[in-house]
Amino acid sequence: MSIETTAAPSTSVVGRFQEERPTKLGTQIFQLLTTTDHKLIGKMYMGMAFAFFAFGGLLALGIRTELWEPGLQVVVSKDQYNQLFTMHGTIMLLMFGTPLFNGFANYLVPLQIGAVDMAFPRLNMFAFWLTLFGSLIVVSGFLTPQGAASFGWFAYAPLSDTTFSPGLGGDLWVFGLALQGFGTILGSVNFITTILCMRMPGMTMFRMPIFTWNTLITAVLVLMAFPPLASALLALGADRRFEANIFDPANGGPVLWQHLFWFFGHPEVYVLALPFFGIASEIIPVFSRKPIFGYKTLVGATISIAALSVTVWAHHMYTTGAVMLDFFAFMTMLIAVPTGVKFFNWVGTMWRGSLTFETPMLFTLGFLTTFIFGGLTGVILSSPVLNFHISDTYFVVAHFHYVMAGTVIFEMFAGFYFWWPKMFGYKLSEGIGKLHFWLMTIGFHMTFLIQHWLGVDGAPRRYVNYLHEDGFDWMNQISTVGAFIMGISTLPFLLNVVLTHIKGKKIEVDDPWGYGASLEWATSCPPPRHNFHSLPRIRSERPAFDLHHPEVALQDHMLAEEPAANPRTN
Amino acid sequence: MRATAKIFWILAVFFLIVAVAYALLTGRYEPMGLEPVGFPALLALTGLSVMIAMATSLAAKKNDLGASDELDGEVSDDAGVQGSFSPYSWAPLWASIGGALCFLGVAAGWWIFAFGVMFAIYGILTWVMEFSVGQHAH
Repeated sequence: MSIETTAAPSTSVVGRFQEERPTKLGTQIFQLLTTTDHKLIGKMYMGMAFAFFAFGGLLALGIRTELWEPGLQVVVSKDQYNQLFTMHGTIMLLMFGTPLFNGFANYLVPLQIGAVDMAFPRLNMFAFWLTLFGSLIVVSGFLTPQGAASFGWFAYAPLSDTTFSPGLGGDLWVFGLALQGFGTILGSVNFITTILCMRMPGMTMFRMPIFTWNTLITAVLVLMAFPPLASALLALGADRRFEANIFDPANGGPVLWQHLFWFFGHPEVYVLALPFFGIASEIIPVFSRKPIFGYKTLVGATISIAALSVTVWAHHMYTTGAVMLDFFAFMTMLIAVPTGVKFFNWVGTMWRGSLTFETPMLFTLGFLTTFIFGGLTGVILSSPVLNFHISDTYFVVAHFHYVMAGTVIFEMFAGFYFWWPKMFGYKLSEGIGKLHFWLMTIGFHMTFLIQHWLGVDGAPRRYVNYLHEDGFDWMNQISTVGAFIMGISTLPFLLNVVLTHIKGKKIEVDDPWGYGASLEWATSCPPPRHNFHSLPRIRSERPAFDLHHPEVALQDHMLAEEPAANPRTN
Repeated sequence: MRATAKIFWILAVFFLIVAVAYALLTGRYEPMGLEPVGFPALLALTGLSVMIAMATSLAAKKNDLGASDELDGEVSDDAGVQGSFSPYSWAPLWASIGGALCFLGVAAGWWIFAFGVMFAIYGILTWVMEFSVGQHAH
């Protein structure tokens, strides 16, 4: 089917023609199974990610309940506890975080660059199915007699071989992850092609929204990181199924596995972080009523973070004694510089803006808070002399939950509240949203802040039990209560969604927030099948703002022509 | 496209510098004289960056990419056919079920693999032939 566009007037039309959603159940199922629409695929990714978020969250509550007091309360064997934390990590990183990136990017990138769809619509759907089926294969391990994989989400050799971890669960874990890794790679190929080849006229690289930039960089990072994972997993699979002895300790296999795994694992952290930095960079300008401060430095910082992130993999391996500490410590500490630049830009965007604190902005501020904490403990961990004392303790657990969980979860909800009107045509309730935010913030910090001290006091991660004499009881109990508050905080969100769709008022305007900058705010809510009935002219990095506030654009233009007339400098 | 190529040339130089520095710094402590995992990986990153840089700059030279890189591009500049987009398709589902059953088969039992191959063949054929109207018919 060919799609044509015609020269379009640069005006916003309110209440445009909207395509009917199918009402018959059969048609809806048919649409879900066969769609090639990037918006629906994006929503399916988000739905899948949220379902796995809930499942991984339940596993986390199991872990926290187990640690409430010494002894075994929840699990009947230590191996079950190992399954809980292994699957919690695997699910949260690869079945929640990464598909969520794919979901937001799928939905937003074509809208933000004025394209009709992704470059390869069928490949897009194929990537989604691979991700979903791979994930289901991994979690189906819970249904096997010996249970799911229990060797930790980074599957260190030789623990992950059949001698120490027999059972089908481990095999399903290895091959399921390999399959869904291919889904992620194909999705990224699609993003890169779309962003490079399908931008609309005037949408130059340096006029793209920051979210699209970050998607491009993340997709490149996926191409650098996921093939090593795929090869390592297939080699591990060959070890487990065909006794290939690739990761045999006799040949130095354990260190080889750690190199390969972390060559994927560290960039993966940034695959999770960068797109969500992009969401923050979209939200802050809208609620500060200012353009993003330092657009080009922000892009440069993102590229620097991505480039540095593939050169620091062995900082996860300090304690092996087999890597060069100085090199990796230096490179790791360097990452603090571009990250600091990003914070400078975000704060600079808010500086002297007229801020309002709608729910998306609140969640973004929550993200800034958690991420600055996580960043600071990251600098501590990057220093080998400190790392040796706190490696594999709860300090590390606290650190990466502040960095990754804080970023992904807070920015996921920020993105949901921000783009819900665009995706579904209804605005989520502000009141319930604020309740959700405060419950989650209190729960999050209560759960993870105390774990820093737990780690410094010597609580090792991944242990099922501890003694009263260790003195960890009260800290673990605070953490567990926090975890349950955080779990409960999801309920207001679900309630919000249900209430909004029952009682919500349909959004009639293109830009319900009033100051939207990027191109998705220049089409209807929700957008039609091929995204735009008319495209505005692109003359800056915030085309929708120029379209809806032409007087500001005109003023900027005149000031650029005649700087002397600027009342702010005179 | 030109901006992309420039970014990847910069990345290539960066990865090459890191690779050489890493090889020199770690080489002294390695029994083989070279660290055998990280150094090749960093070289591969250099190669990947060079490849993307060259591909994008060649693409920019060879093809008419429309007005997306023009600062004063007008919407009408690229009016017309935007390309072919499949309205819906069963092929991805069948092909991915095939892939999933094949991977599951290697993990859990070869008999599943056979079913996977069947689905995969059907999926790939559907995918390739979906919009074909015959070799000489247009």
